[in-house]
Amino acid sequence: MSKKVQALILTGDGINCENETALAFSEHGCETKIMHVQDLIDQPGLLNQFQILALPGGFSFGDEIGSGQILALKLKYSLGVALTEFINKKKLIIGICNGFQVLVRLGLLPKPFTERQMTLSHNRQGHFINKWVNLTVPKSNCIWTKSLQGKEIALPIRHGEGKITFAGDQATQHNTFQSLVNNGQIALSYTEDVNGSYQQIAGVTDPTGCILGLMPHPEAATSNWLLPDGTAKKTGQAFGQHFFINAIKHCEEML
Amino acid sequence: MKTTYRFEIYPNQHQSTEMSLSEMKMTEWFFKYCNIKFDKLFKVNYFLLESNEPIAGIDDFAKTILTDSVTEVLFSSESKNMDLVSYLAKRGFTEPVLCDISFKPGVTDNSAHAVLEAFKLIPDLKKYELNVASGECYFMQSADSLTDQAFEKVSYEKIANQLLQKVTIQRREALATNLRMQAPKIIEVVSTPDESTTIDLNIDNSSLLKLNTDNCWALSLDEIHFVREYFKTLDRSPTDVEMEIIAQSWSEHCKHKIFASHIEYSEGELPSHMKKLGNFEVKSLFKTYIRGATEKIKADRNLQWLISIFHDNAGIVRFDKNVDVCIKVETHNSPSALDPYGGALTGILGVNRDILGCGQGAKPIANTNVFCLAEDSFFKENNIKLHPKLKNPDRIAEGVHLGVQDGGNKSGVPTVNGAFVFDKDYVGKPLVFCGTIGVLPQTEHNSSTAEKRQQPGDYIVMSGGKIGKDGIHGATFSSMELNENAPASVVQIGDPITQKRLGDFLIEARKLNLFSSVTDNGAGGLSSSVGEMAGLTNGAIVDLERAPTKYPGLSPFELMVSESQERMTFSVPKEKIHQFLQLSEKRSVLSSVIGEFTNQGQLLVRYNGKVVADLNLHFLHESLRPMQLKAHIDQTSVEQSKKSHWLNGKVKDASASKDAKAQLLELMASPNVRSHEHLVRRYDHEVKAATLVKPFTGSEKIGRHAPTDAGVIWLYPHGGERDNAISVSCGIAPQISQHDAYEMAVWALDEAVRNSVCVGADPAEMVLIDNYCWPDPITSTKNPDGAHKLAQLVRASKAIYDLSVDYGMPFVSGKDSMKNDFMADDVKISVQPTLLVTAMGRVRSLNHITTSEAKTAGDLVYMIGPDQLTDFKKQLGLYKQLHQAISKGFVNSAHDVSEGGLAVSLTEKIMSTTLGLEIETNLDLFKESAGRIVVTINPNQQKEFTSLFATDCTFLGKVTDKAQLTIKNQFSVSNTETLAAYRIKSAGAI
Repeated sequence: MSKKVQALILTGDGINCENETALAFSEHGCETKIMHVQDLIDQPGLLNQFQILALPGGFSFGDEIGSGQILALKLKYSLGVALTEFINKKKLIIGICNGFQVLVRLGLLPKPFTERQMTLSHNRQGHFINKWVNLTVPKSNCIWTKSLQGKEIALPIRHGEGKITFAGDQATQHNTFQSLVNNGQIALSYTEDVNGSYQQIAGVTDPTGCILGLMPHPEAATSNWLLPDGTAKKTGQAFGQHFFINAIKHCEEML
Repeated sequence: MKTTYRFEIYPNQHQSTEMSLSEMKMTEWFFKYCNIKFDKLFKVNYFLLESNEPIAGIDDFAKTILTDSVTEVLFSSESKNMDLVSYLAKRGFTEPVLCDISFKPGVTDNSAHAVLEAFKLIPDLKKYELNVASGECYFMQSADSLTDQAFEKVSYEKIANQLLQKVTIQRREALATNLRMQAPKIIEVVSTPDESTTIDLNIDNSSLLKLNTDNCWALSLDEIHFVREYFKTLDRSPTDVEMEIIAQSWSEHCKHKIFASHIEYSEGELPSHMKKLGNFEVKSLFKTYIRGATEKIKADRNLQWLISIFHDNAGIVRFDKNVDVCIKVETHNSPSALDPYGGALTGILGVNRDILGCGQGAKPIANTNVFCLAEDSFFKENNIKLHPKLKNPDRIAEGVHLGVQDGGNKSGVPTVNGAFVFDKDYVGKPLVFCGTIGVLPQTEHNSSTAEKRQQPGDYIVMSGGKIGKDGIHGATFSSMELNENAPASVVQIGDPITQKRLGDFLIEARKLNLFSSVTDNGAGGLSSSVGEMAGLTNGAIVDLERAPTKYPGLSPFELMVSESQERMTFSVPKEKIHQFLQLSEKRSVLSSVIGEFTNQGQLLVRYNGKVVADLNLHFLHESLRPMQLKAHIDQTSVEQSKKSHWLNGKVKDASASKDAKAQLLELMASPNVRSHEHLVRRYDHEVKAATLVKPFTGSEKIGRHAPTDAGVIWLYPHGGERDNAISVSCGIAPQISQHDAYEMAVWALDEAVRNSVCVGADPAEMVLIDNYCWPDPITSTKNPDGAHKLAQLVRASKAIYDLSVDYGMPFVSGKDSMKNDFMADDVKISVQPTLLVTAMGRVRSLNHITTSEAKTAGDLVYMIGPDQLTDFKKQLGLYKQLHQAISKGFVNSAHDVSEGGLAVSLTEKIMSTTLGLEIETNLDLFKESAGRIVVTINPNQQKEFTSLFATDCTFLGKVTDKAQLTIKNQFSVSNTETLAAYRIKSAGAI
């Protein structure tokens, strides 16, 4: 039997979505391990055996100071070397919702190991929102969205701090945005303004397409039964699962 | 040298200088409720960092930790790097006033805890002893010239809670010189512990009653006499710690004395609509009607799936081959009245802990919440001035909503079902019901997970938060009516992150078989958790000085009864203690061995070696004699209760009759029908990716704005079978209580059941949870109509017994809260007798899941159910037939008929779709009665569908593709109109 793709899903310190994120991978033939952040810090070498790292959604450290901020500090100080190595090997990383915020605050998105240009701030409305939204999947380098590019999809959002904001004055912000577009780094966009995010960006990938950060929750849209109304359950599509299928396929080809 | 820094976090120069949406909303709030116009309002957060010695380069560290380099800048007391006045001028401030809000000493400060942890992550800072406090700066500006006192007062209306926070006002000069930056200081708790003392009970009755009030024992004189007699036999006086333990254990909150009392029920002449029950005695409402119903049903139906009922923190049932499911619903009313946010937050976290402490520890998978609240607009419209001790009901609503939002969202537990109920009488005490469902494996380590297995010799371990003065006397306090002298220490604030870690740790430790038993520390603190657990081994020894505290200076009795949150008590076998503590430390969970379980029959408590309590467990738990109470109801008491209502004669009459269409639109916008989507969508309702039916439904095109009947949770992601789910729904109808409490209870129970039946749950596998919130039913001089309210309690209990037995649906858990009255000066406001029934049913296949919205034009519309619900057995038959129709796939949508009657139910089925209904009926469109459901079915299956029902299946019309409700020969109204009325408060607010 061929070797299976291994995905590591982090948990602890207020991460909430580790189970469904693991399930989204394992339903498609991936082997998963849910590991407490502290256990990985104690043995950073363990990261080597995985092809995929997932930072699930949640409220790490209660979202105090800024969502994802303290978990990002923790990872930076305790796992910086192991993460750098993981990224340099072009292994796959996904950060969903709070995980996206962590990746951004770690400085891994939109481009690893450069000065931070982007952040996720409070929604325009000033509060948490849970609803299903429609998204377009632009053509991009993103490995995770490969089979979905060009399509319009629906996923749930569940966040209070999902407004993508760029550094600097308006011209600088626009330049940053334009370069992301040109580099094929916009991985997902809302079809309407749901939280005030810059140009309705919902997800961003790094220049290699290996790292994806997104505010919507693909792991909560993996079965038709999870779709948000009676008709959708019968005739809709559970687009969320394709993010995981794409990643697993990519890794299988690499194995 | 001790040094304290102050760091303030401001938006940088690239961010908008306009007010944010939330700041704008806040100015609107102040204008609406305080009649003060702020033309500017700007909020920033700050932190105080205290170190045992100065830290070189602290600003850089603080910048890294506290600010987002993309959008924020740091203003530091170290470098004083900012000119605040010109910064504020850029935001349009000419006369800024700062309301600086800080926590009072000892109050739980979650932001500070997180920030302290963040500072400790930095390698260079590990050598320092650090402490952090958080605070908020509100810069405000108003053309109305307000004094400092006015600013302070207005702050306490909205942005600060006087019980927990301190407001300092600073104006221009102080701001220009940055006074607040000059000698920042974290205020510490100063408290000296009292030695444990003995209490002499051999004093006269009035002195005893004074002692009782001064100590917040909330015992009755009879009970104090009983304690006195008992200690006479021991030839000594009780200690203060013993009296506190007794008071906690015997509080109405913990002991449910009213539900255990002997009641003589009598009826006089009753109004004709009320069911006559006769005169009788009830030995215990709980044993007779609640547990009595369950035992009868269990025997009658030979039920095998009731795994653990009534004796644990939650009821456990088997609705799956792999996992068991448990459920509990709690109330947190009194704390929510004092601090709406903290009260509701600790309510939801508290009921989560009930689940974590159920059996060997279950994992919370879903929350429910029901609020009973008043609305400020009601009092304004009727020109009623509220007593100054009453909080603005709208502020209570905002606070409790935010509390449940933070509690659920931050814990990663979806809020899947609930309700908002509005009635003027909840202005005295809001009701906050919080429920949680959990899962646990059926067996683990070759034993049942439902059992507690503590043994003599096991260590008692307290895990989670530390003990402070917060929440002292919570259990006894909730058993008293709310008065103006309520102690500030009763307020507790939840800490979701500490609890999340504790919960994760608990499940991990359970899987590793590291403990033998667990329970939560809720009301009564250690006194109650250790006291209960010691019941099983028959004894415990506790060394109180081993319990970690938030600050020094706690007296032994405070350590024993404090209700500081986020704590669980474990029993850990000695050979596993090392591993248990090791894992705990690794998971950043504080655990301390505080004693051990024994089999000596005594609860022995020591403080630094000295015995401060030595109580016999039998005396503590079993000796209290039931109260003897009288309940009476008749025509006169019914009328009297209406006459003595606090608003009698002050409320304007409802406006004159309207045509049916106007009536419907008015109903759609009325408080108990209209949408609360703008609030509900702030709860995460689908984290854990298992919520199959969410709170709203509708078509994608219109948006999903229509209410669903129940939440449905998939068990597969939680370790259950792939094709299996459970429903959770609620029923509540306090507005019927004045009419008849029996009918009110029938409505509540049936509504919960029919909601679950609507979504596809099997009525043969459904369980119930009862939550009573009553006005004081014990007669006294302050409460002359106690006998009437007690009679209402008996009638409601008899009703749910009758109905649950006929439905064959057992109660698995429940709770009662008996003193929901507000009293100050000569105003007394009592809630209407309120019963919440929660139903949890099994959805045997995902194919059975049915939602409320109409799906296809051409479908036929039927109403299932009688004109009046009187024959309960027949009603169960209807639900079974409907379930059969659903499981055969005949039913495309099902929605219950409740507030607003048939017209509202029909409207809700279509308003959020592109479809319409064409209805022809002679039924009263607005009549509200229990037991009815509207369904739409595929016309090709009409014959098979109708043949399932012998009676009570009424053809109403059909689904059309024209988006309007048409009642033939009466009126027609478009979905756009009805949806707009329904969304009157929520449109544009999501």
